[in-house]
Amino acid sequence: MFDLNVKGSSCDENLKLAVQAHNYGWSHINFSYDQNDFANALTFKDELKDKLSDLIDFDYTLYIKSNNPSEIRKITRKYRNKASCISVLGGDLKVNRTSLENVQIDVLSRPYLKRYDAGLNHILAREAKDNNVAIELFFIDVLKSYFTHRSKVLANFRDIYRLHKKYDFPLILSSGAESIFDIRTVQDFKAVFTQTGLDASEVDNSFRTAENILKFNSDRKNLILSGVRVVD
Amino acid sequence: MKLKVLPKSQRKHNHYLVLDILSDEELTKNDFTSIVWEACVRFQGENNTANFNLWTIELIENDEISFFNEYKAILRCQRDFEDEVRSSLALVNNFKRKQISISCIGISGTIKGCSKFI
Repeated sequence: MFDLNVKGSSCDENLKLAVQAHNYGWSHINFSYDQNDFANALTFKDELKDKLSDLIDFDYTLYIKSNNPSEIRKITRKYRNKASCISVLGGDLKVNRTSLENVQIDVLSRPYLKRYDAGLNHILAREAKDNNVAIELFFIDVLKSYFTHRSKVLANFRDIYRLHKKYDFPLILSSGAESIFDIRTVQDFKAVFTQTGLDASEVDNSFRTAENILKFNSDRKNLILSGVRVVD
Repeated sequence: MKLKVLPKSQRKHNHYLVLDILSDEELTKNDFTSIVWEACVRFQGENNTANFNLWTIELIENDEISFFNEYKAILRCQRDFEDEVRSSLALVNNFKRKQISISCIGISGTIKGCSKFI
């Protein structure tokens, strides 16, 4: 069970989150840092690895927060070899589009953020499929909202599910947890998404997609062109 | 006059959820019950919640020293509606403006069977 976006902070806080995630049945989590904190977080990665070696797998996600498409491209090129997963915070239409057209980006996170619609249409859905960029939905967006706002978030989720069913772009579900109060058991997590309109098989597929992204990126250095890699 | 107990075939089938609760605020059994009902009515609506047959069996406080209050609870719900109840509870975020988290760590067909999760 893979969670690609748990908000990373200091080493001790990460440790607490990882232990709680392990208790609740997660097998791998990725701590996310934005472009300003990512380099700093790499300094205590080894220490964290030692402490968590027999508990749970973990890695870092670069979570790009910018409204400037050319800056996103620049940051992606800079960190591509250092991060196991590159995710871009969506919401702005220009950002959504440039992220989905860039094969070096793995995930477009929360395309519906601060919008009145899902932030995706049939054209962007096709781009996501062609460039193999996953769309990420956050559990915490449902958790931390209430009443009309929660309904609107769920409505956006449903629009994205509909496009996912038709265009079959990769979809991943993440907790986006910021503290141990935001982590739930794997079964609870699945139950929420099945209740909002996904099938159990689609939820399982989303975990597999997350796993495949990490596997693909660990082998990225052997990739010559898309579909061609060095095997020895 | 007391009603006669229904024959076994006519009774509702129940399942019991074992819940792990972390809370900044101290909870009583009544508090917990109102949290559960409010969560279900909010997420599933009044009409669906009527099917769940909810009942708090027990709320157990954890004695371990921690930064927040830890509890385990046993909650009865009707069979085939476990996913609806656990998804509603997973979306509980705060109680009296303090943080709270409720996760389901096990399901059993009997109260006795819940003991292995506690």
